[in-house]
Amino acid sequence: MVRVTHRLEARVLGEGDWIAASEICQLCWLDPGAVMELAELGVVAPRETPPGEWQIAATALPRLRVIGRLMRDLGVNVSGAALALELLEGRRELERRIRTLELLVSDH
Amino acid sequence: MEFRDYYKVLGVERAATADQIKAAYRRLARKFHPDVSKEPNAEARFKEMQEAYEVLKDPEKRAAYDELGANWKAGEQFRPPPDWGSGFEFSGGAGRPGGARFRAGRGRSGTGAAPDGASAEQDFSDFFSSLFGGGTPFGRGGGGAGRDHHARVGIDLEEAYRGTTRTLELRRPEVKPDGSVELRTHTVRVTIPPGVTEGQLIRLAGQGAAASGAGQAGDLYLEVHLQPHRLFQLEGRDVTLTFPVAPWEAALGSSVTVPTLGGSVDMHIPAGAQSGQKLRLRGRGLPGAPAGDQYVQLKVVLPPANSPQAKALYEEMRSKLDFDPRAQQAR
Repeated sequence: MVRVTHRLEARVLGEGDWIAASEICQLCWLDPGAVMELAELGVVAPRETPPGEWQIAATALPRLRVIGRLMRDLGVNVSGAALALELLEGRRELERRIRTLELLVSDH
Repeated sequence: MEFRDYYKVLGVERAATADQIKAAYRRLARKFHPDVSKEPNAEARFKEMQEAYEVLKDPEKRAAYDELGANWKAGEQFRPPPDWGSGFEFSGGAGRPGGARFRAGRGRSGTGAAPDGASAEQDFSDFFSSLFGGGTPFGRGGGGAGRDHHARVGIDLEEAYRGTTRTLELRRPEVKPDGSVELRTHTVRVTIPPGVTEGQLIRLAGQGAAASGAGQAGDLYLEVHLQPHRLFQLEGRDVTLTFPVAPWEAALGSSVTVPTLGGSVDMHIPAGAQSGQKLRLRGRGLPGAPAGDQYVQLKVVLPPANSPQAKALYEEMRSKLDFDPRAQQAR
């Protein structure tokens, strides 16, 4: 077996990056209709630049990828996945608060 | 390579109908989906299920798998029969050859690479690949372009703060000039910059699947997951530390040394501080624009009254301090 070594600089998709809606669809396993529905639900806030071409902030990627996976793997629809995402985020926040309070009252 | 009993993975009989298989997969997927589940090893279990379902939902693959016979047991050493695949034609995404397989490890020093830290989504087992070819069912699609690959990479909070590296091994089949196919291992050392946050995506251009023709190679996307930390709790880019203080430090004010992700710093506790009160260290969270803050939540710890001197001090406070901790309740 042949071995080849490469050194690569990673490109983080983050704050300040805007990604074409078509690319968002590929990255998040969503179809364009689902992305539009998510925009209507307020989960993402696309911007139109230039006219006719929609872009979405890269900071939305983590949430959209969870929605895409839930739809792809569990067979839920857009509204169901968006609701599940909100509930999961709420659960995570509650778990974080519980952990903080536990640390405050524990002996250690 | 070990034989995988896909029926056992999904908990169905070999005679199960397509609807029963689908229902079993849906039920288990909801329980073990990595985005939802709190079960231990949820991600590994979910991958097993996906692989099993990929085979059993497809009549062609299921028929071919069933052809192996019912005599194999899960975990038994397995090699495909010499005439494997004759009479079957696999169609659809996951049966396509040419997928990359991943092994990953951490390595600040550039030496070892413990096989931990990254795992590929839809990266099926060697058993699956030996039967149906490699590859992933999701990707760029069409136009001869190579498919994108997706993998998760786990890093700890200190690594997210200062940046880190990961070593990935990508095994790709490549066609040699004589037309034969050779498996080539590409070792990729990835530099992850400081300030990555939970769920953030890192793109490695051209490191996905090779294009089928003159098209562009796919990209490799690493999804960052931050491991829980012993001391710090993360919320966005902000971190919170629960910090024990003595009653006199809180009551009288004090200068203390506080751990942060970037090292220890001095912090002033104002006089009259209370347990649960949060103090902010601006810009001491994860780097970014703007950087996150560190919140220090004070936890007043009482000294035990386990010596005559300690008891005497508590007695003195009781007699000399006009203090009622339940004064507000009495209103």
